[in-house]
Amino acid sequence: MTGRQESRRLCAVTFFAKLHPGDVCGSNGLPLTPNSIAILGRAQKLKELQDEHLCQYLDVIRGKHERTIVVSEYLGLSLEDYAKRNPPLSLAQILRIFYQVACGINVLSQHHLVAHNLEPKHVLISDDGRRIKLFNYGLHHMTKGGCYVPFPIGNIRYMSPERLLGLNGNVKSDVWALAMLVVELVLQIELWPKLKLSNVIRKILAFGRSNGVLEKIAREHQCYERYVSMDKDLRQLLESCLQVLPKKRPLPQELLKQPIFESVLAELKKERDQEIQENQEHVPLLLRCPLSQIYHLWQLAGGDVQAELKKEGLIRSEAPILGLPQIVRLSGASVCPGRSQAQLMDDRVVPLRLKALLQRLSRLPADVYFPLLHSPRFPAHFARELQALPLVIREKDIEYQFQRVRLFTRLLQGYPHTAEQLRREASVDVPPLLRGPIWAALLDVVPNGSYCKIDKFTATSTDRQIEVDIPRCHQYDELLSSPDGHRKLRRLLKAWVTAHPQYVYWQGLDSLTAPFLYLNFNHEELAFLSLFKFIPKYLQWFFLKDNSAVIKEYLSKFSQLTAFHEPLLAQHLASISFIPELFAIPWFLTMFSHVFPLHKILHLWDKLMLGDSSYPLFIGIAILRQLRSTLLSSGFNECILLFSDLPDIVMEGCVLESQKMYEVTPKSITHRQHALHQQQPHSLDIGVTEVELKHLQLEQCPRISAKDVQALLLYSPSELALVDLRSVVEYGRVYVPHSINIPFATVQLGDQRLEALPVANVETQLRGRIVVCVSNIHQHSVEFSHFLVACGIQRTCILHKGFNVLHSIEPNILISN
Amino acid sequence: MDTTATRSLSFEYHYKNHEGRDCTSQLNITFPFDQESLEECVTQLMSQMDPMMRYLDENISLEKQLQEFVDMEHQRFLDDHAEKLLNQAANEELDLEAIVRNTERLYKDELLQFADRVGPSDADIFAQSFHRLVHSSSLEEILKRERTYAKVVADMTEHMDNEVETLNNSQQQEMDSQINQLDITTTSDDINNLLAQQYTTQNFVRKRYESELEAMMGHQKNEYRDWITSQVSQMFQVPPVATPLGNRSSMFVSQQPSMEESFTIHLGSQLKHMHNIRILSANVTELCSPLHAEESLNGLNMALGLYSSSLCGVVVLTPSIQAQANKNIIKNANKSTEFHFEQIDVQLENIEKQIRSLSTGDSTTSSNSSSTEDSATSSPTKKQVPKLKTGDFFITKHSNLSQSHCIFHLISDEPINSPSEINSRHPVILGLRNILKTASRHDITTLTIPALLRHEMSEDMTVQWCIRRAELVFKCAKGFMIESASWGGAELSTLQLLLPDDISESLFTTLAGMVPSVFHVANPKILVDTNK
Repeated sequence: MTGRQESRRLCAVTFFAKLHPGDVCGSNGLPLTPNSIAILGRAQKLKELQDEHLCQYLDVIRGKHERTIVVSEYLGLSLEDYAKRNPPLSLAQILRIFYQVACGINVLSQHHLVAHNLEPKHVLISDDGRRIKLFNYGLHHMTKGGCYVPFPIGNIRYMSPERLLGLNGNVKSDVWALAMLVVELVLQIELWPKLKLSNVIRKILAFGRSNGVLEKIAREHQCYERYVSMDKDLRQLLESCLQVLPKKRPLPQELLKQPIFESVLAELKKERDQEIQENQEHVPLLLRCPLSQIYHLWQLAGGDVQAELKKEGLIRSEAPILGLPQIVRLSGASVCPGRSQAQLMDDRVVPLRLKALLQRLSRLPADVYFPLLHSPRFPAHFARELQALPLVIREKDIEYQFQRVRLFTRLLQGYPHTAEQLRREASVDVPPLLRGPIWAALLDVVPNGSYCKIDKFTATSTDRQIEVDIPRCHQYDELLSSPDGHRKLRRLLKAWVTAHPQYVYWQGLDSLTAPFLYLNFNHEELAFLSLFKFIPKYLQWFFLKDNSAVIKEYLSKFSQLTAFHEPLLAQHLASISFIPELFAIPWFLTMFSHVFPLHKILHLWDKLMLGDSSYPLFIGIAILRQLRSTLLSSGFNECILLFSDLPDIVMEGCVLESQKMYEVTPKSITHRQHALHQQQPHSLDIGVTEVELKHLQLEQCPRISAKDVQALLLYSPSELALVDLRSVVEYGRVYVPHSINIPFATVQLGDQRLEALPVANVETQLRGRIVVCVSNIHQHSVEFSHFLVACGIQRTCILHKGFNVLHSIEPNILISN
Repeated sequence: MDTTATRSLSFEYHYKNHEGRDCTSQLNITFPFDQESLEECVTQLMSQMDPMMRYLDENISLEKQLQEFVDMEHQRFLDDHAEKLLNQAANEELDLEAIVRNTERLYKDELLQFADRVGPSDADIFAQSFHRLVHSSSLEEILKRERTYAKVVADMTEHMDNEVETLNNSQQQEMDSQINQLDITTTSDDINNLLAQQYTTQNFVRKRYESELEAMMGHQKNEYRDWITSQVSQMFQVPPVATPLGNRSSMFVSQQPSMEESFTIHLGSQLKHMHNIRILSANVTELCSPLHAEESLNGLNMALGLYSSSLCGVVVLTPSIQAQANKNIIKNANKSTEFHFEQIDVQLENIEKQIRSLSTGDSTTSSNSSSTEDSATSSPTKKQVPKLKTGDFFITKHSNLSQSHCIFHLISDEPINSPSEINSRHPVILGLRNILKTASRHDITTLTIPALLRHEMSEDMTVQWCIRRAELVFKCAKGFMIESASWGGAELSTLQLLLPDDISESLFTTLAGMVPSVFHVANPKILVDTNK
């Protein structure tokens, strides 16, 4: 991996997708997907191709008005230029080129791809002339064989006769093109340089009736002597590649086995061994990072592909007013001024310069490039001070992101061994580039090949619903609205349904799956397993056929927690009977993925992944809190209207709020019977089935376990206010230190003012603390807690099992007289 | 060419089941094979087996074998298919010349490399020059020049109007005196002769002025364009200076419509796009008033925006009589020279020509010709004259109107004084959708549509009818705007809902009140310190 990266560059090409004529609908009655989106979806697969003979695809960008921009790797210079600069090429060199291009085609054919646009322009050669990479080989695939673009694919001069007859997809057409390309080099000619396009086509079609294509070409270009004096083996090989019938041409893998290439093979092997030994010092550290990361950083450093193209005149801005049609009929047919030439396919390649980026990052020490995880001597403390900045700024800071990306790359390489450290770092923030695998790691996913065994094709009863939901799921996103995205989402949903016979498909599962697919578009298995782990963690039993008990419990807990954190709001919502059933079911069933756009969900879930199953409840409260003033001044109808289309929520605030609430809330407060319980409950905990739905519905305030009270007493007594509701006599006998005695009999529940209580300064004693109501009689605690909520006291809860449970705490915490 | 041929082959997979017995699964596979469906085939083959085999990882070797089979057969299929076609070609069973022609055309039409290079058109060059100049310090000078030119034309028009007026008066007097003398000294023939003579005189005067005006406008246009071009070449020598004013400053400075209200809305179910909605009552010609009539900043705004990618458009309803625009708008557009496009009459003439050629090509599609006949019989004088139908629209471009760069003349034949009920599939509504689509494709980011699909109030338009009609238009507009997010063009930043200027204040308030309920009005963001 040495010297080869020096000349590594990025570049961009652009073209227009075909416009759909007029106004047509697909077979499902929905508007047709724009072709540029379909291209974007198909191109994703190409990004996965990594081979030493292929330029890596990095990005596909969709511009305005169906423009598509493809960013990929670029190497040295094109064979076209190289051959011009270094004529004539030696036989050994030609063979080298022949062999390496054949390698490239072979890799493509292994991935069931064909290039179909092979020409000297698309064969790149490193500056030293040793290495070859194919370029722009994915055009045929991403445009579905040219269906999505108005222009033809491939240079006519190198096109095989069967392609001219309209047959595409045969890898042997590429073999023909390769041979033509080599013929040019061997005979030192340019194919039909002066011939008119139509005559070139006639020539190629005429090959169909002749044998000896090679000889014919040589004669036509007045170099028959070169043909005669050509190396015999090479001539034979070229002749076999230029057979008119594809059947008689060799396949790429057969080509590679030709004895003629033995010397090339040996040479390449020798070079490879040499390279391993070679000193890597002179390669900038950055160029040893994966190209996808370099491109990501290039973008962060202010790189703008569209601007670069504009600079080169590839995106010409033509005044839109000049292109306006004169007449548009109802049918969509229109009379337009002629199409401007700016719309035509221009195959120029625009390099994207890395120099600025290299300079920018050259100051960083090597251990940022390659962080050491397990050496305490080199702690990864780079840029910690930046962590205080808002997330949006951190995500745009190039040095910070660079450091995070490198760190997480390492951590992911070490996963699952590094799971602990990964979780710690993820709690700071998650770099967007690696979010997919990081989430998978946070969900304890270990790919095991199980996904491919799941039946995703057999028809089931839920198919129809899935078909209906997919074209409505986050369709503003280009990936998810592409036909490939639809296909993948369908497979994921069907796989999930098949893998969970105990569950059913509830509408909303599509939204829930969407973020995982979006992040792992090329790794369906990872997306599936993430979903597979995500659902039991946060949505245990939600997808039962009858999930009413689960949802009711969840929403009741939500109400209780709202009262716990926002008593006045809870009181108001209860008073206008705006119950969570009316608005919160899609929130929780889809973990908010149905109500927010993807970019917001990603930030929300970054934090969600770190919390337990109760975390979503706090997100819900944070949303209510953000809308608090509107809600407090609204009646039932306004509230319904407000939530029917959730207004813009500031996600950062929501995340921070929910996190704060999550941290200050004792675990037992969020206890739910249907949550996933992984450990046996402690004797002082709330037992799994001890609190029933009817309790939840009757009690406005949540219950706290004796264990949590004990912990509060021990470690943070200043955050606890224990209100003892027993009589003065009982209190005198035994009590909890620092508890406040308000005998229930003395409380007038009708007078909902704190001042009405018989104790002085109650308010200051209760504000800002977790207020635990304790009594021997459970009903007393419940009623008093309602009283406190009505008074607007935050964080009111009830001790589960009453005062007597405190006796059983070891060591004793009670003071008895 | 037959490229759709397929071939079906049977694939058999032999394996030992979990009890060690030999079993076979079989599947028919169609070629050409789509690699995407490999997994599906594997699933189908697996489903023929005992479920146990799934756990025994039988799918792995099955997939491998199937892949090999498919690869081989797919290649063979392609080769055979190619052989068949090549043989046909060799035996001249195919029209090779057609292939040559089509291929050549495709390459020449679509690839820049092979296209006959034409340089940018004059309009294009001028557009770029002007756009550049207008965003430099020369802006003020341009405007000054335009204003001077406009003044000349306006003076001339005024002069003409005055002279015609005087002529009218004198002729009227002459006529009156003649009529008074009727049957005394004059005969009716005399009067007829006089009438004819007067008419000729008047026509002559008018024609004279019109040709003078035309010459003047042509002269101005040439002078102006030459001047702009020369300015640009000068500008290359001095470094450009930034524009004194931003491009996006409000388009509405001077015109004060009688009533208006603005809203900011969010559309879209998850990802929200922000748009502005403005509802206003005004006469549609006010939106297309002459640009240089008064001292205002509009000239600047229009000039800055003209060749930008944020254009303003207005939808004006017009009956299907011919490609005929609103008379007042034509008059306004003729108040000054159109420096950038053809004068409006010429534009309309061209469109008329296009319609004629369009309709001759259209006559073959007979299904929609019936309505043409209907309307043709109703106006027998215009028989054989093809015309646009309800829902079609034509576009004129302008640089000398106050608030619109382009006008969508939408054909609507709704009879005045008998308001009808329409639904969302009505051609006018669909035409509106086409307009939004065109706007999106051509970077028109401010669009004004008649919210009642009427430009004037009439007796029969009851409050109920207005509410129903406005609701329909609002809802359809909302739907189209949501849809437009996926069209991949320019986003409509401001939609103006235009109500007739003679609408009552109470009705305006009612209709304006409907906007927030139909469109989701963005909630004000209230920042509260949560740390207290």
